[in-house]
Amino acid sequence: MTEAAIHTEAQTMEVALKIWRFNSETGERELRRYEVEAPEWVTLLDVLDIIKDRVDGTLAYRKSCRMMICGSCGMRMDGAAVLACKTRMYELASAGQVPVISAMGNLPIIKDLVVDMQPFWDKFNAMKPYLQPGYVEPPDGKEHLISQERMNVIHKESLCINCGCCVSECNSMEADPDFLGPQALAKGMRFVGDPRDGAKIERLEAYNSEHGIWDCTRCYFCTERCPKGVDPRDAIAKLGAESIKEGIDRDMGAKHAKWFVKSTETTGWLRETELVPKTQGVVSAIKEMKFAMSLARRGKVPLPVPPHVAEEVGQARALRDIIAGQGRDGALGIVQGERALGRIEHTDSGGARRDAPEVTPGEEPVQRDIGEQPGAPS
Amino acid sequence: MRRVAYYKGCLASLSAKELDISTRALAPKVGLELEELEAVTCCGAGDIHEAEPDYYLHLNARILAHGEATGADTLMTVCNVCTLNLRQANWQLQKDEALLERVNANLDAVGVPPYTGSIEVKHLLWLIAEGEGYELLKAAAHKGLKGLKIAPFYGCQILRPSKILGFEHPDRPWSLEAIIEACGGEPVDYPAKIKCCGFPIIQAREETALGELIQPIEQAYEAGADAMVTPCPLCHLSLDAWQSKLKKTTGRDFRMPILHLSQLIGVAAGFDESELLFKRHVVPVGPMLDKLQV
Amino acid sequence: MRAAIAAFDAGADVAMLSKLHPTRSHSGAAEGGINAALGNASEDDPESHAFDTVKGSDYLGDQDAIEVLCNEAPGDVYELENWGAVFSRTEDGRIAQRPFGAAGAPRTAYAADITGHVLVQVLYEQVVRREIRTYEEFFAWKLVVEDDRCQGVLAWDLLNGGLHAIGAKTVILATGGAGRLYVGTTNAYACTGDGMALAFRVGVPLKDMEMMQFHPTTLSPTGVLITEGCRGEGAHLLNADGERFLKRYAPNAMELASRDVISRAEQTEIDEGRGVDGNVLLDLRHLGAERILERLHGTRELSMVFAGVDPIHDPIPVRPGSHYHMGGVDTDMWGQTELTGLYAAGEVACISVHGANRLGGNALMETITFGRRAGAHAADWALGHTTVTVPEGVVSDAERELKVLLDRVEGERPWQIRDTLAQTMHENFGVFRREDQMLRQGEIVEALRERYEQVVVEDKGNVFNSDLTQALELGFLLELAACMVDSGLARKESRGAHARPHDYPDRDDENYLRHTLVTWDGDRPALDWRPVTMTKWQPQERTY
Repeated sequence: MTEAAIHTEAQTMEVALKIWRFNSETGERELRRYEVEAPEWVTLLDVLDIIKDRVDGTLAYRKSCRMMICGSCGMRMDGAAVLACKTRMYELASAGQVPVISAMGNLPIIKDLVVDMQPFWDKFNAMKPYLQPGYVEPPDGKEHLISQERMNVIHKESLCINCGCCVSECNSMEADPDFLGPQALAKGMRFVGDPRDGAKIERLEAYNSEHGIWDCTRCYFCTERCPKGVDPRDAIAKLGAESIKEGIDRDMGAKHAKWFVKSTETTGWLRETELVPKTQGVVSAIKEMKFAMSLARRGKVPLPVPPHVAEEVGQARALRDIIAGQGRDGALGIVQGERALGRIEHTDSGGARRDAPEVTPGEEPVQRDIGEQPGAPS
Repeated sequence: MRRVAYYKGCLASLSAKELDISTRALAPKVGLELEELEAVTCCGAGDIHEAEPDYYLHLNARILAHGEATGADTLMTVCNVCTLNLRQANWQLQKDEALLERVNANLDAVGVPPYTGSIEVKHLLWLIAEGEGYELLKAAAHKGLKGLKIAPFYGCQILRPSKILGFEHPDRPWSLEAIIEACGGEPVDYPAKIKCCGFPIIQAREETALGELIQPIEQAYEAGADAMVTPCPLCHLSLDAWQSKLKKTTGRDFRMPILHLSQLIGVAAGFDESELLFKRHVVPVGPMLDKLQV
Repeated sequence: MRAAIAAFDAGADVAMLSKLHPTRSHSGAAEGGINAALGNASEDDPESHAFDTVKGSDYLGDQDAIEVLCNEAPGDVYELENWGAVFSRTEDGRIAQRPFGAAGAPRTAYAADITGHVLVQVLYEQVVRREIRTYEEFFAWKLVVEDDRCQGVLAWDLLNGGLHAIGAKTVILATGGAGRLYVGTTNAYACTGDGMALAFRVGVPLKDMEMMQFHPTTLSPTGVLITEGCRGEGAHLLNADGERFLKRYAPNAMELASRDVISRAEQTEIDEGRGVDGNVLLDLRHLGAERILERLHGTRELSMVFAGVDPIHDPIPVRPGSHYHMGGVDTDMWGQTELTGLYAAGEVACISVHGANRLGGNALMETITFGRRAGAHAADWALGHTTVTVPEGVVSDAERELKVLLDRVEGERPWQIRDTLAQTMHENFGVFRREDQMLRQGEIVEALRERYEQVVVEDKGNVFNSDLTQALELGFLLELAACMVDSGLARKESRGAHARPHDYPDRDDENYLRHTLVTWDGDRPALDWRPVTMTKWQPQERTY
């Protein structure tokens, strides 16, 4: 029963959508406009239901719970992934805006708004996403004794409903389709941070692969799009922190990060010039010579000598020493609230000072076929 | 004049010195008196946030504490990454008393004044996109950017996560366009203006980064832009210094000039080269300046 | 999933077949918790749990099955935790338990207010660990029956199109409930009673079909669930006068009385004009922001998105909504149905452990404990038998049937039938029932079934044809509605969720301490009865 059909006394409004239709059997692709009347309280999912029931039964999309917990209805509205059941239409419709609805990105499209989730699940499975018990048996054959505070380390990661909104928008994955991605890595952190799991080191070694942790470009699209507040970027940062804490730091990304730490302790400011050899190694740095020279000509390669040292830089070093003994090392340093879980408000971002212009972006979504590199000469 | 604590960050101090120079030249014209913070370090970027998060928190708390000690109510940044890092640390410290207590105790132990949570971190962009700053900007841009099509590039960390940045809608930002218009230029729109330039992984994962970098440059080029402007010196490095690498991977030579925000306004305000330092750019800015109609 | 894991661990070659990806299962929407006498929050024991369940069922639950549930529950919960379930914790690091409706002790183990989600995740993780094969997005349409045995499932491949017969020595139905029979339901779109209809159509009896639980706190108009956990944390229910009206209905337990008692109380308040726009108010304000953010953040988000209300500042308008079906496929304590090789577990089954009303927190427990038992028993049986026979022609016969449906171009789109069914069930077979309304509903359902014969599927394609599967689901719902109404008419008493205050306001243990059974006689439902199994507890007056 579509809730939209009942309560005839409810106020209704006109809602218009443009939907990217795609039929993988025929390869046909078309942007079609639909206009329906709907109660004021409808979500995007409700509108799709009305369209499918009364206008075009061939429209394909996934749905189930309609209450933001099953993760079925991920799709793009104006190029940004959302849960259809969480997206209320009243404001858009009243402003006369006609959003463009398309399938999630970074996954092959099967039909209309239905994507092939197999690559998503494959990456998920690659994380070995199940508890690998350690040697400590729970007492009396009952439950492990763990404090709430300790479990809170993975609270956000445990909220993930596998909807794919983060994956849809991942900039790294767009450029590198083999990147494990925010959802898989967040799931990985759910286990790395779980005190009951005994495979932490193996996991971290595996996640430090070429397409793992350090492939993340830190665009924060995943954190922005996640409808549940998982903050996948934070989860990836936690994995990086734990890796470095455990001495798993061979990756260039880890070396790069460690050089920042070293810089703050010595000169305060980033020792840019040495960053390349420290990250990539001397041999590789030599290969980059020509490129480096083009930068040096412009003065973009500041001489490491004399060092540009910030004032009172000793304080930074001293701070690092003090906190070393305070038990917030590794992932525990990522703050979610010292006491209760300050799950960050996940409302529509505040502070939009000007009304959005009368543009419907995303009219032509940038959808690439898997394997097609962005920017490759066509 | 509005007094602000000025945190210039690493790049403005070193490889992007032109950013610092042009910012200082611009500040008085838009009503800003800059008090530079000296006893500070790198904000840690996403790197220290990932490598040693507790240390990242303390480094930023120290910067905030020193900012607060100047008596100003605003700490001004000129880099996306610094803005996110400082605002994130600020948010955490302002929301959590117990955390603030611990951090302050540590700061005190090394001789840093305590942070009471009273300062707000704002990028220069936000200070001049609206209000008094905007009015002064319009007045200052007397020479204008007539005839120029400028593509704004926001990048990531001035917009996302919006719950920490929050100045404008993360998918439909307007501040750079407003400034371009105020300077008399014509803003150019293209989808990748809010996507990632790839800088954080440009060394560790160059191929992936270049796959990202190509998008804004190619799209701006195809939209007819004469130059791009960005509020982040890291994006600037990617877009400008690494642009040549795109020639190898794609065979295309875009020659797209990339300007820092303060430089763009500087051009419109009639600054000379000593205040703009375009000679420090890898992609020559000359062609854009030639197009400028006086 | 729990059944599949048990079957796999017993050494059977097991596959899961699901019309949704397994983590989309509506069990993930369960919020408040799972009941077991762990004794972490107070003194507790399985016998108390059992008694509360028996009383909660209004004495219609089979006490031997209930005792099994309550005895085995703690072990099952510990197992889930050992597998990695992310439970909330007590001060001393144990699994946290909160008070829940009609429970004598706080025994509802919880994970904030996303317990179902956490359990679905941990079960799926264990499925992945065992690499259990899954026929994902396969829509089960018919059971394959041969030699008086259930020998497999006939399913439509939703992703690619086409019918497939999958042979199996045993089949376990775990398809959930049928809340979509009603407007204003907590249930997902997927909850269309598939398993019940499948079993019913091959002659397996359904039990206690009239028993549909109406959850007291659902949002209007959608029916989105607001967890009982709110009341477990201390929330109050108020009417338009700001009165905690439950003192007139359940003065001892108040907001933690049994769900049917509270739903009736709310409906009475609303019907008698003390509601607010057809709702009552659930007030969480006095719990404080910190507690709400820590333990009920999911609730807060749902309330803000679907009701536009922030419970930190304002009370949430709620009303009864269809939520859980106590009735279902008739099974024994091992999940076996009358048909050899066919099992059922979870909400689709009716053993019965919930009788005429289910306690909050017992549903998740049932899926685990009886899922495990069914899986183990089915595997055992399968390993002891060698043959599987899928008769030739099963697929082609079904294809012919499907062709008739797909070829039709003149007729009615399903939505009107669906909406009318849901609206009328809500009006005529809801919290309060009357003879004349039920009779009328029976006629309405008949008429709708006739209209259904001419239903049109607009999408004729193969790839992701949810238009087709939704039409088939409607067919399931219509048959189940007929069973429910007939069963409701036959039970001439009020018991648990079946409330007939106008004609039969009292419980009649002399005549009706028995389950309704309904079977397909080829033309229409046929009714029968079976007495309730009692071990320790004699029916008493049920007050809270």
